[in-house]
Amino acid sequence: MEKIVIRGRGAIPGIAEGAALVCPDSIAGNSGALGDLDGVIHEKSNPCCGRSIRDAILVIPCAKGSNGFSAHFKCAFLKGVRPAGWVSTKVDGRLGVALASLNLPAVVDFEDADPVKVIETGDWVKIDGTTGIVEISKTE
Amino acid sequence: MVHLTDKEKRMLEGDLGEFRGKAMEFIVRYADVLGAEELVEVSRATLFIGAQRYLDCYDPATDYGKIFSEFYLCSEKALDFARFAEGCKTQTCAGACDFAEYRRSHVSKELIDRNWSYLQATKECGVKIVESCTPYYVGWIPIMGEHFVSTESSNVVISNSVFGAMGNSDGVEAAVCAAITGRTPKWGMHVRSGRRATCLVNVECRLETAFDWDLLGFTIGRLMPKHVVPVVAGDFPKPDIDRLKQFASSIAVTSSTELCHIVGVTPEAHTLEMATDGRKPPYEITVSREDCVESFEMICDKGSGPVDYVSIGCPHLSLDELKGVAESLRGKRIRRGGELLVWTDYATKSMSDLNGYTRTIEDSGACVLTGSCPVVMREDCHRHATGMAINGAKQAFNIKNQTGVPVYFGDIRECLNAALLGKWEKRTWKKS
Repeated sequence: MEKIVIRGRGAIPGIAEGAALVCPDSIAGNSGALGDLDGVIHEKSNPCCGRSIRDAILVIPCAKGSNGFSAHFKCAFLKGVRPAGWVSTKVDGRLGVALASLNLPAVVDFEDADPVKVIETGDWVKIDGTTGIVEISKTE
Repeated sequence: MVHLTDKEKRMLEGDLGEFRGKAMEFIVRYADVLGAEELVEVSRATLFIGAQRYLDCYDPATDYGKIFSEFYLCSEKALDFARFAEGCKTQTCAGACDFAEYRRSHVSKELIDRNWSYLQATKECGVKIVESCTPYYVGWIPIMGEHFVSTESSNVVISNSVFGAMGNSDGVEAAVCAAITGRTPKWGMHVRSGRRATCLVNVECRLETAFDWDLLGFTIGRLMPKHVVPVVAGDFPKPDIDRLKQFASSIAVTSSTELCHIVGVTPEAHTLEMATDGRKPPYEITVSREDCVESFEMICDKGSGPVDYVSIGCPHLSLDELKGVAESLRGKRIRRGGELLVWTDYATKSMSDLNGYTRTIEDSGACVLTGSCPVVMREDCHRHATGMAINGAKQAFNIKNQTGVPVYFGDIRECLNAALLGKWEKRTWKKS
């Protein structure tokens, strides 16, 4: 199995691994886009519509849409539906709040490789939120 | 690690109370996530709080102190409420529902009562009850260089772009903690260098109405690269605040934009060179009429069709817009069996009452509501609809995630016509 290593900045310490869920245009922060209670993406224009964030390594370029972005992830988190960790091309305010609030391992601010382009949904991804190292095992 | 002043350290250590200490703990973690080196004092805040649907993870009987501590302060321990920062003028953002109209807005009285009780709890801490996503219409105006936090994405774009104030689109937990501590990370829009335009947007489409500006914002947001600060340039009439409101709301739907300069209109862009600090922007796009029509087709369902649920006022209507709605509806009745919801904030509705606009609008069978909107109130309030007409690209695009019925999108006049006829008439695009 091909393995790729990319490096960003560790934003929330800790090690996490799981299958990647890649949303190349992010997930809207507006009410109803992410299910508050089920953690399922209901945003109709999202290629990951219908998929759950549960136990996934969420791979997004940034946040977008409403400033309620973090609140919907937090609600799902408190219902027990949570991603394993986060990988984001570049952190922004909306995303930064979600990372700080959920306090799950996260790597952000990649300079040499864009994780949204390198990682595909289903790849097995291990992240180290202290060193910023992201190991990607490509799906066969 | 972020550097803290002595006062901030004392706050973090709990010397100024446990409530403030936990809030500062969150602000410090947020600052470290962003990579901020220091904090900055904030003097204005709007907060998307109350009995919002994102609190559905809690049983409604749960003590609000426990909810507030866990959700906003990330504290496992339920803390006693305490005063928010004295130096930060704080008020509520878009509300969970109207204050009283549960029947006409299709929510439970329990929700209205619970929302009111939550708002009373935070009012005791210094948070004014305003319930508006357009706070600048009623006096919440951060001036040039003033640092603010706001949980309304369009208000962040307006405050940065139009007023030259400084704030990030962070989120409700950070905004609450910033309002409690009076501090937020000095990062992004709070730093002068983060405000430099990095993407030139050449506009080659018609820009006359609020609807044109609404579509332009949506289009720029989806076409420009991510992580840029746009500057809009072109030969178009100067927009007023109502047009800019629509623009600010829709650009923040399809992107994470917090600031958009407009050459000759916004205060940090008297010229293109001023917006870019004299540098060549690394990115450049052109927006055509065809691009805007494509956006329209992404938002509005095809063709004509029956409509029984019409909602206007995203973002909340100004007094001028309410005047226009009243003039359009004078002496008319909306189609039997349909409903027309007109959303504004409580203060503006009071002025509308005073001027007789509310009476004229409601004599048509419509309903003037305050503080919230269908997308925020979620499915319960519009599940009965079989066809919708919505003004505001933000509302129309996002309500599609909550419903399977046809959603038509148009300007206020088209939406009013749909309410009067009970039918959506397919838009005909004029040749440019």
